[in-house]
Amino acid sequence: MKTQNRKPKTENPAPRPKALVLYGYGLNCDFETAYALSQAGAEAERVHVSDLIRGEKSLLDYHLLAVPGGFSWGDDHGAGVILALRLKLALGSALQEFIAAGRLVIGICNGFQVLVNLGLLPGLPGRADARLAALIPNDCGNFRDAWVHLKAVDSKCVFTKGLDRLELPIRHGEGKFYADGPVLAELADRGQIALKYAGPSGNLAMGRFPHNPNGSLLDIAGICDATGRVLGLMPHPEAHISSFQHPTWTREKEAWRRRGEPYPEQVGSGLAIFRNAVNYLADKVIGGRG
Amino acid sequence: MAVRLEIGWRPDLADAEGEAVRRQAREYFGLDLTAVRVLRVLMLDVDLPEAALEAIRTDIFTHPTTQISSFQPLARDFHWAIWVGFKPGVRDTAGDVAREAIQAYLGRPLPDGAAVYTSKLFLLTGEDLTETHIAKLAQELLANDMIQEFRIFSRQTWDAGAGVGIILPRVELAHTPAVQAFELASPEVLKELSRRRHLALRDADLPVILNYFQRPEVKARRAAVGLSAPTDVELEYLAQARSDHCNHNTFRGRFLYRDAATGETFTLDNPFKACIETPTREIARHKDWVVSVLWDNAGVGRFDDEFSYVIKGETHNSPSNLEAYGGSLTGIVGVYRDPLGTGKGARLIGGMYGFCVGPRDYAGPLKPRLHPRRLLDGVIEGVKDGGNKSGVPTVNGALYFDPSYLGKCLVFVGAVGLLPREIKGKPGAEKAARPGDLIVTCGGRVGADGIHGVTASSEVSSPGTPAGHVQIGAPYTQKNMHDFILEARDQGLITFITDCGGGGLSSAVGESAGMAGGGEIELSAVPLKYQGLDPWEIWVSESQERMVVAIKPEHEAAFKRLALKHAVEATVMGRFTDTGVLDVKYQGRTAAFMDLSFLEEEFPPWEFEACWLPPENRLTEPVLGEVQDHLGVLLAMLDRPNICSREWIIRQYDHEVQGASVIKPLVGEAAPAPADAAVLRPRPDSLRGLALSLALNPAYSPIDTYHMTAVTIDEAVRRLLAVGGSLSHIGGVDNFCWPSVEYHPRHNPDGKFKAAQLVRACLALRDLCRSYQIPLLSGKDSMYVDGLLPGAFGEMHRVSGLPTLFFTAVSVLPDLRRALSLTWKRPGDLIYLVGDTRPELGGSEFYEFLGYVGLSVPKVNPDAFLAYYRLFEPAGHMELLASAHGLYRGGLGVHLALSSLAAGLGLEVDLSRVAPESPAYVALYAESAGRFLVSVDPTHARRLEELFQGQPLCCLGRVGGDQTYKIVRHGRTLLEAPLATLRTAWERRFGSLV
Repeated sequence: MKTQNRKPKTENPAPRPKALVLYGYGLNCDFETAYALSQAGAEAERVHVSDLIRGEKSLLDYHLLAVPGGFSWGDDHGAGVILALRLKLALGSALQEFIAAGRLVIGICNGFQVLVNLGLLPGLPGRADARLAALIPNDCGNFRDAWVHLKAVDSKCVFTKGLDRLELPIRHGEGKFYADGPVLAELADRGQIALKYAGPSGNLAMGRFPHNPNGSLLDIAGICDATGRVLGLMPHPEAHISSFQHPTWTREKEAWRRRGEPYPEQVGSGLAIFRNAVNYLADKVIGGRG
Repeated sequence: MAVRLEIGWRPDLADAEGEAVRRQAREYFGLDLTAVRVLRVLMLDVDLPEAALEAIRTDIFTHPTTQISSFQPLARDFHWAIWVGFKPGVRDTAGDVAREAIQAYLGRPLPDGAAVYTSKLFLLTGEDLTETHIAKLAQELLANDMIQEFRIFSRQTWDAGAGVGIILPRVELAHTPAVQAFELASPEVLKELSRRRHLALRDADLPVILNYFQRPEVKARRAAVGLSAPTDVELEYLAQARSDHCNHNTFRGRFLYRDAATGETFTLDNPFKACIETPTREIARHKDWVVSVLWDNAGVGRFDDEFSYVIKGETHNSPSNLEAYGGSLTGIVGVYRDPLGTGKGARLIGGMYGFCVGPRDYAGPLKPRLHPRRLLDGVIEGVKDGGNKSGVPTVNGALYFDPSYLGKCLVFVGAVGLLPREIKGKPGAEKAARPGDLIVTCGGRVGADGIHGVTASSEVSSPGTPAGHVQIGAPYTQKNMHDFILEARDQGLITFITDCGGGGLSSAVGESAGMAGGGEIELSAVPLKYQGLDPWEIWVSESQERMVVAIKPEHEAAFKRLALKHAVEATVMGRFTDTGVLDVKYQGRTAAFMDLSFLEEEFPPWEFEACWLPPENRLTEPVLGEVQDHLGVLLAMLDRPNICSREWIIRQYDHEVQGASVIKPLVGEAAPAPADAAVLRPRPDSLRGLALSLALNPAYSPIDTYHMTAVTIDEAVRRLLAVGGSLSHIGGVDNFCWPSVEYHPRHNPDGKFKAAQLVRACLALRDLCRSYQIPLLSGKDSMYVDGLLPGAFGEMHRVSGLPTLFFTAVSVLPDLRRALSLTWKRPGDLIYLVGDTRPELGGSEFYEFLGYVGLSVPKVNPDAFLAYYRLFEPAGHMELLASAHGLYRGGLGVHLALSSLAAGLGLEVDLSRVAPESPAYVALYAESAGRFLVSVDPTHARRLEELFQGQPLCCLGRVGGDQTYKIVRHGRTLLEAPLATLRTAWERRFGSLV
């Protein structure tokens, strides 16, 4: 007879936060984003946009919504525009309620573009829902895949809490962060700028290519909303959760070897963003203390 | 009433697309534009109230912070305007998406016929621009007349009220579809019909076809279904099936080979069978990792206990030559469908590309349809959109310039997928179309685009080639289908699947019906883009993004439900039978009734005379003294178009999506140097890796294609070993691109020689694959790499491409931690050269640089090479190597520099023991095969030397602690320079391109 080894409850302390990772209609980073979230401790589920739109899945059954990278609906009418429209039409205020309920939203690359077109970002107080920021074509005039250095800015963002510097790849054609002057100032004042492009030494890129890869104003790579619980960023944290994903890991490996140690797979700097989210949810939402 | 919506960037914001046009106008044509702005234009061919239109404008298509838009002309303050839009019937995905978005927004379907057409309006500012300038910009930069039309407006002729007007590229076929039958009294009648309809039937096939239709029993059975004379549906089917593209008549032909110098003769019957199939079957017998080969859309090898990898290479030369962007886009998206259509369907995990074009700065008298620069821009962009928008990382690629590709460019595309070894308890690599299963078409709709692609690519490119087969792939549509197919697969709904590509339904349904034992389909069930297509057009259209799937009747509802979720159209169009007949109906009446066995019998093989003249009888070695300025030569070599940095292409391609890239296409801490091969980690939960390499060496073809092929295969193998791949697991993919091998005294007077070149390449393929134990998992042959080009005086020239083999190789790394890269790791590490350097400069980059071909082509000695290739795996296990890099085109001088540039570490090496008796340029630039550069921690040097005891291993010197690059030989400094000088030379040529 087959018996199942059930683990004693004490070894399984907290339930894992549930993450909804959108896929379908041209999104394409869903698998690795779900994997990164599960590595960070979440219970990640890929959910097709259709299932969310048709109500077969309900947003409020999850603690975190991830809109991953890709080219939703081909992106021909401005990146993220059509997916934002479809979500807005189908979900209406449910997204706002989701955030108001203390849940988290992360939009990566195309997902960031979706969040600004939904108006969830920048989500300034009193102007929630307004499309005040945009991600417009890179100054270099083309799609670009390159690794960048990032500096986490002191902000209210839940995802980047305690982080300092990260290395992540960018992979986009429309990633130049744009907002009008007053909006930029307000973002800075309110601590809603989460990530900025930097040089290898950690100094801000100051607009210089290629450290600032797209011409983003104020070197902005990622912003959060006024609650700090919605993050949009152009670089891909899910693409650096293991040291093997870093472009020069073989030199690092050699350094270990010279010390006489076998090279271990290490955590990449992108994982911390997902871990922060999971820890926050475990603490504030699932723990019921929020 | 139709309206026009114009959308632009707010005037105070930069216009990156316009700026790119401005830059290109200056660089390409020397035109000074002070500003270029681009407006996106949507022609809305739908009747909507004004309020709805206004809501659509603001809520969907205009970003309030960055964009402006209007139903009135936005254009102000410009000197010239160029409107560019698609011709009727050309794929306009953005327009379809816009229509879909409007429906969703309004919450109701738009009436039939309502459409959105997208186009662009370029607003140009600049003094001194004439209409001639503007026309040139329109024709040679902004619009391709194959798929687009343009209109030019000057400020004077601009109507500020009407703007560009309303332009609706509706397709209106005022035509009642019908099946036509042809009384074929004689082969001559059929020949004339073939010419008129571009069937490209061979003379020898004509009587075979006629005889079939005249057999009494065939006649009787046809009469029973209401047919007498052959129909257009049938003749088109036969033309597709008999085309060189589908049937590989050249590779299955009979070659009568004669060596004109020695008088030796032999016959090579069916090179495909003799040189590909037979050796592969032999090798596969004792390579238990070979899962499936030689029958499916792509080859399958074992990755681990749970997954297989699926690999395929294709070329898409003829369409890309006509419409570069659409051709290469369709190519890459099309090759993805091969792994997707292999076994029960594989998930795509990687793409590859290889472009061969004329010189980017070509300024000679020949006038190709597209200048190589423009052609290259287009093919790069096509693979960019195809790869990036499909979410498939483009992990490896090559670019090669040669004037011979002015006649026809080569666009190679490759794809790798991952396939579960078991799906619902059944082998994932197996599929079977069974009688009774429903035949379903999934994905895009059928239009008149892509008709006769297959037969046209089986012809020489000339100004009269029909352009109807030019298409634009839609990666977005296909991505939906990809996601859908994989879910259907995992639910066990798919019993059989195949790609609908070249030859359209006739090929996909024809071949799968062959496997099932028969099939009947109803063409009027096939979803069309627009009405008015004749049945034969539906039958052979190559409209993209389609798969043909077989499902069990009881799964129809579940399959369609899943299709709906993924916004994929899935339509049952027939069923498989066991009648041995392909029965194609149109509106219930049989339009084609063919015995499936017919194609397998009776057709005579194509015959070719192959006449070889050995290189010794044609070529000599140049008389060349020692180089005095070695630094000058090295800098010039690093700047050569085929050596210098192509970072600009690689960065346009998302090579990291899916998060699996471990050795990326660009490696290096200091400068992004091209990796020897890509290494992927297909499963994040496993340490196993998949390595992919690509090699081509057409420059050796003018000397001897046997050695061209041998060196290319050897290079692909070394590329794998250099990143840590296993020698015992190497699969190959051969993609031949060859000029026509058919002799014609006036049109192709050297056809017999080209045929001999093909024979020799096939023999080398067979020999090398046997030596290295490489089963050929997949491959493709693409003939007719020839073009007819007008010269300066209107005279026509036949330009034949260099015989070219793209060889892709795949291997598995048991442990990713052993993966290696080419960059030096530490100052003071020892640099070793593995392998012998011989005076082999024939066809080398160095000779080409000096204007020579030479004779001493590099040769491969598999037995000698394998003796030390086998040591790379133990060296990896012992972790002796800090870096590894193969030596390829450009030789030691170039590749030493690449490892230094990548690491940002100089070196000091002594080449006295490298080809010691020869001039220094031989040591530096000979392209002898079988060589590697490795760097080693000095404390491991003894162990490495012991391991390589008796093998050609030579310590050259050390990695430097600073940026000095110094090479000495026989006590003399050949060159010494800071790395920055080398880097400038290597990056300058294409460094300003993005």
